[in-house]
Amino acid sequence: MSDTAGIVVSGVRRSFGDVHAVKNVTFEARPGAVTALVGPNGSGKTTLLLMLATLIEPDAGRIRIAGHDPVTDPVSVRALIGWMPDVLGSWASLTVRTTLQITARLYGMGATRAAARADELVRLIGLDDLADRPTRVLSRGQKQRLSLARALVHDPSVLLLDEPASGLDPTARVELRVLVRRLAQEGRTVLVSSHVLAELDELADAAVYIEGGASVSAERVASAATRARPWRIRALDPGSIAPALVASGVAAESITADATGILVPVTGEEHAAVVLAGLLQSGVAVTSFAPATGDLEHTFLDLQARPAEPGDGIRL
Amino acid sequence: MKLWAGIGVIVGLELRQRVRGVAWYVLLGVFVVLIGIVTVLVGLATTSFGGEDSGGWLYSLIIYFVLMLGTLIAPALSGNAINGEREAGTLATIQVTLVSATQIVLGKFLAAWIATLAFLVASSPFLVVAAALGGLSVGTVLVSLLVLAVELGVIAAIGVGLSAILGRPLFSIVVSYLAVAALSLGTLIAFGLGGVAIQSEVKATTVQAVYEDGSDSYTCGPPTVSTYSAPRFDLFWPILSANPYVVLADATPPQFSEYGSPTDLFTGVASLVRAVQVPPDLSPEFDYCNSATFEPGPSQEETYAKTVPSWFVGLLLHLVLAAGALSWAIARTKTPARKLAVGRRVA
Repeated sequence: MSDTAGIVVSGVRRSFGDVHAVKNVTFEARPGAVTALVGPNGSGKTTLLLMLATLIEPDAGRIRIAGHDPVTDPVSVRALIGWMPDVLGSWASLTVRTTLQITARLYGMGATRAAARADELVRLIGLDDLADRPTRVLSRGQKQRLSLARALVHDPSVLLLDEPASGLDPTARVELRVLVRRLAQEGRTVLVSSHVLAELDELADAAVYIEGGASVSAERVASAATRARPWRIRALDPGSIAPALVASGVAAESITADATGILVPVTGEEHAAVVLAGLLQSGVAVTSFAPATGDLEHTFLDLQARPAEPGDGIRL
Repeated sequence: MKLWAGIGVIVGLELRQRVRGVAWYVLLGVFVVLIGIVTVLVGLATTSFGGEDSGGWLYSLIIYFVLMLGTLIAPALSGNAINGEREAGTLATIQVTLVSATQIVLGKFLAAWIATLAFLVASSPFLVVAAALGGLSVGTVLVSLLVLAVELGVIAAIGVGLSAILGRPLFSIVVSYLAVAALSLGTLIAFGLGGVAIQSEVKATTVQAVYEDGSDSYTCGPPTVSTYSAPRFDLFWPILSANPYVVLADATPPQFSEYGSPTDLFTGVASLVRAVQVPPDLSPEFDYCNSATFEPGPSQEETYAKTVPSWFVGLLLHLVLAAGALSWAIARTKTPARKLAVGRRVA
């Protein structure tokens, strides 16, 4: 991918005193796609986003946002990025509408254009009813939506969303997903950090895994993704599943059960097809056959369970 | 974005938040009531013994009162301008927009200054009352209002500066108050202690009249020399020039009566400060025998006339302090940030 589109990060490092928040992160995020930034708490996701958002300078490494360097040319980068912070701050005494108007004016829009843009955004995020109430009355989820609207004020081509779904109710999550997908389809580069992995599975086209301040190499991600993971099987007669699996060659001790079905380790899509065919041949009336964990969650948990070995994956 | 456009948006943001809050109105109300009480009491006092043309005293007292309350209120209005916004999690959302750190800091400074000047505007009815009493010169009004406005701006600038330099809002507000106290009271204390600490020996020669018994005729006795030490306040008077009250008093054109005594508080304070410039006579001669040597001391007007003004030194020092605080604040608010203070939040 060329340097002039999307986000390109290579070998970025940042420490705060003795705390090495980001040690070595390298990744790319394409325009027109949603890229997930996945990692446990304290893995450096927010610090990385702060560097992308031109707020802190990296100690080393290189960042390009649509070809611009946030360190040497922050103004160009700021005109292009919309940043939604993980901290939900708002001017408590100002109304939702005024907040958006002032944000638009901070991006250099005139008063009339700012007012029109604020009205558009209030509708987009569904805060019409609360538009003229002070932001201190907003609930956490509503503040989250306001924060997203603030990030969209200047129609940015690169979106940096830090935990956008936290605090949202299920309906709002679906709306957020639809909105973010649409924003990406319109050609924007969207980077979303989250640890709600089920959420990201349906949202993201690509994923970057961060672990202890470093991005995980593509090889490790690939091997984690192909490692066996549990699939859940349900049938009209649950008792018929296990014997049929054993008959088709699955080791009896690897079969487990949970509240909703029988779990069996499967190493990939092809293996899944073979297992399902075996069940059907044995005459089991299968009603559900699906991975028990999402793709991202599976990879994430696997990476967590198998820490990087020395010399494995991370290159300086 | 153009410098002033960005500053304008920040000023608008600050003032909108201010006018939506209750605290500012409460402060304004309390302020007006206090000024009202002072005006009535001082008005009664000055008209009862000052007679006509007592407007100068009343006016200068009100202005001093506005300066005092203004310096007490300005740190509260400015001392958390930047770190307060950081604590609320909104500073970073401003920093990622197209306004620069310079625009953010200057906008917040101007907004704090305007909010403080509102207190001066609120006191204007009482200033009009003072003017109606007569005896007030146009020069006094113009210069004192200008210097007062500048001094309030200096304090607003120091407050905003400290709010960017120090992390915690409470801490920066307290340090702003300490800065105000250092200028207003600290200069007085330093001046007083310095003058008392450095003393010079005075050799006074006294000649007494010796009366002969039972007659009015007398002869002059032998001169006697006594020594004592005198405080050298004249060495420390420049410290006083950094005091905002002294700057205000010294800058306004002096108003003396026909007998050479001050007709407003500014001239009174300035005369006292000017008199301190005169070094003590280290070898005075007191001749109580030859009455011809008795001379009346110089009037306050005469002393004022032969000593040097210092207000521009103090004012310049204040402006340098204000500019320094603001430029330090801009440097600390610049993003992308290289260094961060320990425990400081970015967003």
